[in-house]
Amino acid sequence: MSLPYSLRTSITPPELELIATQQLIEIIPLIAIEKTAFISGAFGPLQPPRKAKIPLWMAINLKLRKKCHIVAPEWLSVEFLQSRLDEEINEPGFSKLPFRYAEISKVLLDVASDDIQNTDKIRSLLKDLREARQAKSREGLDQINRGELSVSNLCSMEINEIRPFFVHAMGILTHLHREASTEDQL
Amino acid sequence: MVYLPPPGTSRDRPSYSDAYAKILKAHRESPLTSASSVIMLVAPDVDALCAARMMAGLFRQDDVIYRIMPISGIAELERVRDELMTYNELHTLILFNMGGILDLPSAEWFGEFRTEVSVHIIDSARPQNLSSLFGGGENGERIIVWDDGGAERLLEERKAWEALMYEPEPDSDDEESNYDSEDEYDEDLDEEEEFEEGSSEGRKRRSLGDGNRRGKRRRTMEDRPHRMSREERDAHMARLEKHYMTGTWHGQSASGTIYILATLLERSDINLLWFAILGLTFQYTTSRISRDKYDDYQSIYSDEVLRLSPPPPVGEQSITSINPDDHGIRTTDELRFMLYRHWTLYDAMFHSSYIAGKLGIWKERGRRKLTGLLAKMGFSIPQTQQPYPHMDMDLKRSLVQKLDDIAPEYGLIELSYPSFTKFYGYRSQPLSAADAVEGVSALLDLAGGVKMEVEVEGSRNGGEWFGGGKLWEVHGLVAKTKWTIEEDRENIRPGGQPTTVATNVEKAEGGEDDDHTVKKEAAWWIHNFWVAFDALADIEALRHSLNLSMTLHRAIIRQGTSIIDKQDIRTMRNHRVVVLTQGPDLALFSHPGVLSRLALWLVDALRDKLPGKVVSTRTKRKSLPFVVACLNESSSSYIVVGVMAATDFGDVRKNEFGLAFLDAKERCNARTRHSSFDTSILEINQADLPVFLETLCEGSGY
Repeated sequence: MSLPYSLRTSITPPELELIATQQLIEIIPLIAIEKTAFISGAFGPLQPPRKAKIPLWMAINLKLRKKCHIVAPEWLSVEFLQSRLDEEINEPGFSKLPFRYAEISKVLLDVASDDIQNTDKIRSLLKDLREARQAKSREGLDQINRGELSVSNLCSMEINEIRPFFVHAMGILTHLHREASTEDQL
Repeated sequence: MVYLPPPGTSRDRPSYSDAYAKILKAHRESPLTSASSVIMLVAPDVDALCAARMMAGLFRQDDVIYRIMPISGIAELERVRDELMTYNELHTLILFNMGGILDLPSAEWFGEFRTEVSVHIIDSARPQNLSSLFGGGENGERIIVWDDGGAERLLEERKAWEALMYEPEPDSDDEESNYDSEDEYDEDLDEEEEFEEGSSEGRKRRSLGDGNRRGKRRRTMEDRPHRMSREERDAHMARLEKHYMTGTWHGQSASGTIYILATLLERSDINLLWFAILGLTFQYTTSRISRDKYDDYQSIYSDEVLRLSPPPPVGEQSITSINPDDHGIRTTDELRFMLYRHWTLYDAMFHSSYIAGKLGIWKERGRRKLTGLLAKMGFSIPQTQQPYPHMDMDLKRSLVQKLDDIAPEYGLIELSYPSFTKFYGYRSQPLSAADAVEGVSALLDLAGGVKMEVEVEGSRNGGEWFGGGKLWEVHGLVAKTKWTIEEDRENIRPGGQPTTVATNVEKAEGGEDDDHTVKKEAAWWIHNFWVAFDALADIEALRHSLNLSMTLHRAIIRQGTSIIDKQDIRTMRNHRVVVLTQGPDLALFSHPGVLSRLALWLVDALRDKLPGKVVSTRTKRKSLPFVVACLNESSSSYIVVGVMAATDFGDVRKNEFGLAFLDAKERCNARTRHSSFDTSILEINQADLPVFLETLCEGSGY
């Protein structure tokens, strides 16, 4: 891999984005395409004005060439994100969000901002969500112990963020624990 | 040959979308399609740049691989044409703002190309060459002219052209062939007649065919061989001459044509509309079209803006973006000051040619008048010396209103015209169409080739230590050293004076051969072209270029005021001449684009001071002909620009200097070269200039 050494320990965000764009999303096509076979599967046929589900990468491609309109997923709306944000602030655990919400929302806001309502409010809500969750995961990292750790509802970007530190820290903790237990035995 | 009328005139005529579909079809079906199958040749002006950008966008959406080649002038076009002949995979050529006047089906241009190659011409310059429009046969079918409706009205010219083309000489002996060809022509005429129901029964038509509508009847009726008589022939020739000789003017902008295509394909969007607006504004601010025509197109585009852009909020927010994704366009009123939102109000008024003329800025009295006007409007002197963004908000809001109230006292009317502004979300301040056009044309003229110093903001009144300027560099690029320049950094004068160190003369290399110089010169304008092309889509680069444009304007003012002060304008019998042989900015003005701006500035400034002259023999309208010549020391030649201005602000006249120059050149055998597509710009050898100017005076009517 051609990345600098420090970045090789985890996946980079653009790669995560690429993985996320494999998810299916609903579109309203403007042109007709027959059922076509791609490497990841066969999609289509696209018949305007009927809605169809195609992978996000294909939807982005068509949208950039003005050949479709993207239907925003229900979670990318002000009400949903606002309720999740309230939950996040008031409760100690992480609220349930789509696993790859960060990547998908970034891509959709870049490409299809005209298909989404209230984009500036959504951007600010997403930012708030990220900050709230980041604060919680920082607190959580303080309390790592060697025992079992279960955290639910972390999303892929957040997992990716803490993975290098987390793995390294757990490794050292295990090492210390093993030394401590061998010392005990001695 | 095929000329495409604008869509909507009649269903069964081919229109822009059919031509576009043809290009797509050729691209998809040809087995040899490669990167050189579709080539766009683009002239170096803002309108052609915008049109090329729009076309490139449409192609990219349709997955067509294309190539763009900038062409500076007819000589370059010839050279490229020879090169293009050898491309086997070429099947479409598109020409933007060039070639309208050339006889394209002839062997000299594209007659020799293979028949699969189709040539599309999208040119705003008129008059158009009649063989390109009406030429028939397989050879002519390949040339497709995208027209704006003007060619529909050339019925008489078409008849005249066809008559002269197909009819043999009046005293030919061969009666048989005469008869046959006459029959062919009659068939043609029949088809035309059926087609053009109700068109006027011209004198010519009656004499040619007795106004008959059936070919059969005519064939049996006619026993005497019908030859065109001498008078008819002369009448046709006169008609054609009138078409070509009335001077040059401009029709619909190339970018407007492409926008219509996009609308037909139902793919118009806000970016394409913005480019079309830029093309139109360019035509208006460089006096290529009149105010009335501008208003017509502007109202069409403002309807489009309402259709495509989200409705603007009223009141305060109308001058800022409403949200970060706001990339829309809104209509605004544009003042006639040059780039007024980007430097101080005083400077903007000082540098605009209209105000300069009315108030007489080159005299001290005029400058006092200007400050007086500003004071009357309630703007204090410190306020007007502030850069515009730092001016008080209430002053900015009341600016247009106060101007309308107070300016007429000084004779300044019509200070604003309707125009557009584009918003860029939170990334940047909104940019008006006129400013964008200024920035892009400054880049086209000057991005490389001449070192320009731009003023650093805040450097006036003793802000900076070492001079007020820094060298302007292309945004985002490290200054390339592909031109070996004699760097003269030690001797830069403080105070923002541009240093015009000759850059494209390679003293360091000591190159003697012509090729080397030519190659270096060619490099700079191609570089400029691409910088400007990129800047069209990049708001940061465009903003950066506004500084360059301001320096350019300062230089023009300096030169213009010194010309008027020294009373350097010589009045000849029918036009006025200015010859520039010295001055600090000489290298700057040896570029044809910059020189034409200077000519336009002078005309605007002197419009009221000088009486108009009746120049043309055909119409009795007065106009102000102006010829400006500038010495290019490095090539020891003069660049000559001829401008025909109207006596009223906002009007245009047909520019007859192209013909006058050609005429004079033939008569005095001067060594000249046309360096651009505009026939009123000419490069002439140093020694031949005085003779040339004299012959110009003696010329028919000049």
